[in-house]
Amino acid sequence: MIIEIGAFALCLALVLSLAQTGLSGSARLRRSQPLAAAGEGAAIAGFLALAVAFAALMHAFVVSDFSVANVAANSHTAKPLLYRVAGTWGSHEGSMLLWCLALAGYGAGVAAFGRGLPAGLRALTLATQGALGVLFLAYTVFASNPMARLAQPPVEGRSLNPLLQDPALAVHPPFLYAGYVGMSVVFSLAVAALIEGRVDAAWARWVRPWTLAAWSMLTIGITLGAFWAYYELGWGGWWFWDPVENASFMPWLVATALLHSSIVTEKRGAIAGWTVFLALAAFTFSMLGAFLVRSGVLTSVHAFAVDPTRGVLLLAILGVASGAAFALFVWRAPALTPGGVFAPISRESSLVLNNVLLAAATATVLLGTLYPLIREAVSGEAISVGPPYFTLTFVPLMGALLLLLPAGPLLAWKRGDAAGVLQRLWAAALIALATGLAAFALVDPRHAFGAIGVAAGAWLIAGAGAELAERVRAFRVPAAESLRRLVRLPRGAWGMTLAHAGLGVFVLGACFETSWKAEAAQALPIGGSLDVGAYHLVLEDVRAVEGPNYLAERGRIRATRGERLVCEAAPERRFFLTGGQTTSEVAICQRGASHLYLVLGERRASASGASVWLVRAYWNPWASLIFFGPVIMALGGLVSLSDRRLRLAVGRRAEAAS
Amino acid sequence: MIAFWAVAGVMSAAAAVIILHRAAAASRAQLVDPTLGLYRRQLGEIDELAERGLLSDAERRGAHAEAARRLLAAADAGSAPWVAAGGRRPILIAAIAAPLAAAGLYLAVGDLGARDQPYVQRLAAWRDADPESLAPPQMAAVLRALAAERPRDPDTLRYLAMAEAASQDINAATVALRRAVAVAPERGDLWDMLGEALTAQADGAATPDAVAAFREGLKRNPRSMSARFHLARASIEAGDRESGVRMWRELLADMGPDDGRRRALQAAIYEAEHGRTPAAADDPTRAAIRGMVSGLAERLRVAPDDPPGWVRLVRSYAVLGDATARDAALATARVRYAGRADVLRDLDEAARAQPMTITAPRTAP
Repeated sequence: MIIEIGAFALCLALVLSLAQTGLSGSARLRRSQPLAAAGEGAAIAGFLALAVAFAALMHAFVVSDFSVANVAANSHTAKPLLYRVAGTWGSHEGSMLLWCLALAGYGAGVAAFGRGLPAGLRALTLATQGALGVLFLAYTVFASNPMARLAQPPVEGRSLNPLLQDPALAVHPPFLYAGYVGMSVVFSLAVAALIEGRVDAAWARWVRPWTLAAWSMLTIGITLGAFWAYYELGWGGWWFWDPVENASFMPWLVATALLHSSIVTEKRGAIAGWTVFLALAAFTFSMLGAFLVRSGVLTSVHAFAVDPTRGVLLLAILGVASGAAFALFVWRAPALTPGGVFAPISRESSLVLNNVLLAAATATVLLGTLYPLIREAVSGEAISVGPPYFTLTFVPLMGALLLLLPAGPLLAWKRGDAAGVLQRLWAAALIALATGLAAFALVDPRHAFGAIGVAAGAWLIAGAGAELAERVRAFRVPAAESLRRLVRLPRGAWGMTLAHAGLGVFVLGACFETSWKAEAAQALPIGGSLDVGAYHLVLEDVRAVEGPNYLAERGRIRATRGERLVCEAAPERRFFLTGGQTTSEVAICQRGASHLYLVLGERRASASGASVWLVRAYWNPWASLIFFGPVIMALGGLVSLSDRRLRLAVGRRAEAAS
Repeated sequence: MIAFWAVAGVMSAAAAVIILHRAAAASRAQLVDPTLGLYRRQLGEIDELAERGLLSDAERRGAHAEAARRLLAAADAGSAPWVAAGGRRPILIAAIAAPLAAAGLYLAVGDLGARDQPYVQRLAAWRDADPESLAPPQMAAVLRALAAERPRDPDTLRYLAMAEAASQDINAATVALRRAVAVAPERGDLWDMLGEALTAQADGAATPDAVAAFREGLKRNPRSMSARFHLARASIEAGDRESGVRMWRELLADMGPDDGRRRALQAAIYEAEHGRTPAAADDPTRAAIRGMVSGLAERLRVAPDDPPGWVRLVRSYAVLGDATARDAALATARVRYAGRADVLRDLDEAARAQPMTITAPRTAP
């Protein structure tokens, strides 16, 4: 009965979304408080109903109820509990339910914490959010029902793709969806503001916390995905410009641009139209990502294998939602009031330039992602666009952005003093130059681009430090005064510094790892050895081990540097009994911020008949920084979010207090 | 079903109460436009930052003037007031209609009356059932549970392996046999079975693991037919045809005259010596397959609820080139699983399997 209760709850959520749209929309038309509140009630009730539906599906996964088609297709009794739980969102149908839950959750969030919004804006935001809910819930109920039953359940399930049976990937989708779908609130706020004809500084202030929350979640989600790809796929890399990776990266780029443009709109009331455009674009890219991943048009390890019919339906949802929103934008944007003017050298200009570069970068990623699909559709010729394209297009744009980034926060609003900013950044420039030269001179082999990348990372970190020093007037007032200022800095300022420094840490790691990574591969018998970087590796033994739902060969590799033992690693090659898939379980020896990355490959017979194993080894210097940097960035977002000026419902409390 | 409707009713009532309660509370509240408050707070924040020394006087003045202008503009703009009354009818309609519409929608897309079927419950039912009535996958599930309770019992593991193999899950059969030889390494029959499972897992190839298992089996039972047969075949595959054929001939000599396996072995020896199989009519492989297929058909007659079994049967007839039997089995299975798109797809795919071909020699041995 539990799964049927879930099915009923799903239907109830769909109807409540419809009620939310109707009640909130008519509330705005009639300027009726009770109708608006009833719409809010429907949003909260809809979220609760979806929570029940989600819990029911999770229960079915936990108890292995194979009468549910989704469970039968994606679970197995031998699967560990964590992956049975994660199986709830491991399939297309289950992840659509998670998407709907997040959508309804954000709607309920607006209803519960949106008292700081003007009544009209709040009602229209909820109406739009409800309409999005209707589209996605109808798609879930009628085309991707996760509660569908089987007349004759199989004895066992087909299990979850073994590549997805991983702790990082178990928590990656909830973060990713919290980010993707978080953009829906920003989208709804933009639609509501366009209908109201009111995009001003106050609106930008209301948009920022939702954008920050969604951006932080998306940053964590993408990082978890990259980390999973790094250690689970066993290719030694962390980003492959895979179309599905790009699908998650594009909303992130747009959200980053939106975070910065909304500051200009909030502080100066300027570029309001552009900020609204980005708000609409962020969720549009999220929906585009959902379409790409689920339509079957992409072949990727990350993609759900879904039939094209359902892909067409998703495309229709994308067309209806975004089409209507952008049509509204075209109609209403010319009526938006222009904001304050600013000089070419000013904080506003730097943020606009930031937006131009981020938008151009998004366009290059979009082109690189969609061009192969369009070309194949038109000419039938399959091509792939890989790292060389992105290195030539995306990297120079980002290079320009990174170069200008530390200067932006130091410029004054309206009219900045370029010479003064350069003066304040000389120490950061010196540090960057020295770091780059040191990398070029000391790291073997010499690598000019690598050294430039290292200098860029140091420039960002030192620039963030310089900006902090400027705020606390370091070395210009007594140390005690600087310390007092430091303690009293708003959290928003800390958040920005953290986010910029985190980007620097990431750039440092990414450039160093890409430039100076080393790899070696060899078929080794027991006792055989190979060298990678400065390390000598010996395959000590390989033994069979049995996991909960797999058999594995576990190698023991002894890594030494000179005479010193560095680590004993245990990479595995796992064979999953259900489905017969084989995966690599990479062993990573942490060496400071660097990784000695070891993969045990397939067993072969040598010419003499003895068993040998293909061992691949990578020396990935400073690889930890690649993942640590985005974590700092996301932390920066969350610290900013905790700034009382941006906290949700702060208006309500302030009004109550007064 | 009553319990279902009771829970659905409670959920519906809760949703209606939330909507009505929020609406009732709003009709008592006084609405204030928060925009003015936000701009006032912004002014306060600018002052606060300046007091903390984080804004210069010039910046403070500029920011203050701009925020003040916004505040004045917002105050001037105003907005039409919102009413705290009215809207009762649409709210009531929504609160009542939403649950009713949800119930209607559920009746259209849900599966009213379908019970939950947690695995533990189904397993308990299979354990209580007559083993003869169980399909191989169900038997395997029961034996898996038994093996978990008795991990040191080699016979349970042996039966489990047989059930897994009958369920076409040779990987699981291999795992069960590995466990069996670990708990009873002295039993040659288990080593032989493991060798056979490993050979089947490798699509008939004599892998080093399989050869090692057969050697272990032969150590414990030097007369083991299976181990001797497979080790001889491994010798032939490794290039030592002479020694392999000699071992087979010794094996043939040890077989009784009525032993059903003689013909298969003779055919294997013929093939090893002549590089081709004997005539199709005499082909022992085909005969053996026919025997297995007949067994499968009989099992499905007794316990027909076995979708993989039907798929296997259809594929087997297709491989044997018996179109009449294939079509009959396909028709029976299609009727039986009319509502199972996945099974129907597998059945159709199985029916398309190509018949196996045998190159017949001109003369018999």
